[in-house]
Amino acid sequence: MEERKEIIAKYERGTHLLGRVVSALTLVMLVGAPFLIGSWLGAMPDLNAVGRGFLAVGLVWTVSSVVEFLVYTPMLGSGGSYLAFITGNLINMKIPCAVNARDLAGVKAGTKENEIVSTLSIAVSSLVTIVVLALGVLLLQPLQPLLQSPVLQPAFDNVVPALFGAMAYKYYRKNLKLAVWPLLMMSVLFILLPALQSQTSILILPSGALAIALAWLKYRKGRKA
Amino acid sequence: MSVISQLSAPTMYLICGGIVAFVAVVCVVFAVRAWRAGKAIGMDTAVLRRVVTASASFSVLPAVGILLGVIALSGALGIPWPWLRLSVIGALHYETQVAQGAAEQVGIHLSGSEMTAQAFATIALLMSLCILWGMLLNLFLNKKYTARLSRPKAGGAGGSFGDQAMTAMFIGLVSAYIGSYLGQWISGNGRFTFSGSPVPLLTALCAAAMMALLTWAAEKRKLHWLEDFSLALSMLFGMACAVLVRQGI
Repeated sequence: MEERKEIIAKYERGTHLLGRVVSALTLVMLVGAPFLIGSWLGAMPDLNAVGRGFLAVGLVWTVSSVVEFLVYTPMLGSGGSYLAFITGNLINMKIPCAVNARDLAGVKAGTKENEIVSTLSIAVSSLVTIVVLALGVLLLQPLQPLLQSPVLQPAFDNVVPALFGAMAYKYYRKNLKLAVWPLLMMSVLFILLPALQSQTSILILPSGALAIALAWLKYRKGRKA
Repeated sequence: MSVISQLSAPTMYLICGGIVAFVAVVCVVFAVRAWRAGKAIGMDTAVLRRVVTASASFSVLPAVGILLGVIALSGALGIPWPWLRLSVIGALHYETQVAQGAAEQVGIHLSGSEMTAQAFATIALLMSLCILWGMLLNLFLNKKYTARLSRPKAGGAGGSFGDQAMTAMFIGLVSAYIGSYLGQWISGNGRFTFSGSPVPLLTALCAAAMMALLTWAAEKRKLHWLEDFSLALSMLFGMACAVLVRQGI
């Protein structure tokens, strides 16, 4: 038991140190790259336009990033979230991938086993993405007609609905009572206020809050019984 | 040499490829550390192997979808920059939107013919700045936040709520998206007009049906190996249905 605690503590310390260092390095590289490319092209970024652009399009994403950090970090654990926020594509790839891996491994959220499974799953998912994109870029000329064929376009336009449809079955079948109200609330909201359809990523928060509130009521009822 | 040709020059591949390679190494390091820690605390190697197999098979299809994002942006920004953005930190739904918004701010349309060196540098910087908040929050707050989350709660005996809360959060996430597909069909072109696209909803339903079938086969027919591939296969079926539905409409 003591040995396990020691292993976990050492792993956690290492994860935070590594996570912070690589996050900082990635940040410097990502912000530095436009300046490096600009100096090579002979023109630096227009910082006034960057400021205006940030106010126009960046603020929404800032709010969205804060929500993502608050919601996804508990799901992924520390190592998983350092890696997921570095590699991106959270909603359409990393979160479902980690949740699916957690289910397959039979581990519970909040445990060290879950933290390890999430980290492993996100690392593998990111590596596969990097390899697929690198191969795709390498073979862009021959692949372009196939990938951009009008016949196949609906398939690639609907990767996310296919993903959430499959995940919905998996989760709804075991938690039908819990799923009914968020699904109903979101459906009514999107039907009555169609303009909200472009804000789905932000509406995850109220939908998730309702589901958590219902789960809490069920949990309390179970404890009292 | 035009700006758009310069944006796909070897120097650009070197800069962007270098960052992608760095992130790939980071992923390998995290994976190896997680695997070793898992083994050290007594996790079954077979379980860890299943996690790797399922995660790899699941990721191929969304990655191809992301590749389309690279292709879509390459006309205006060259190939290496979208490749970098969508391999590191970026998100498929985010990049195009921010690139369009940034192009407006520099007074051009997002197209290769209008691209200038300064416009590109400005767009690239804005694309980086708008999405780095998640990483910044992680850098400064991850340790405190995760420590707070793992602190034992008073009266916590008798089972933790944390696991149920995470399941509930995920159900909320999925419900938001499924609700939006329903809304898109019913009110996508005006409230209750039923003239919006039904394809996302039908795709989701088909993928769910395939998942039901595969789950049944895995559980009742004892084909447990199917579980590792059920998500990827269900997605593939849903995407194939999207093509068929679009052909039929």
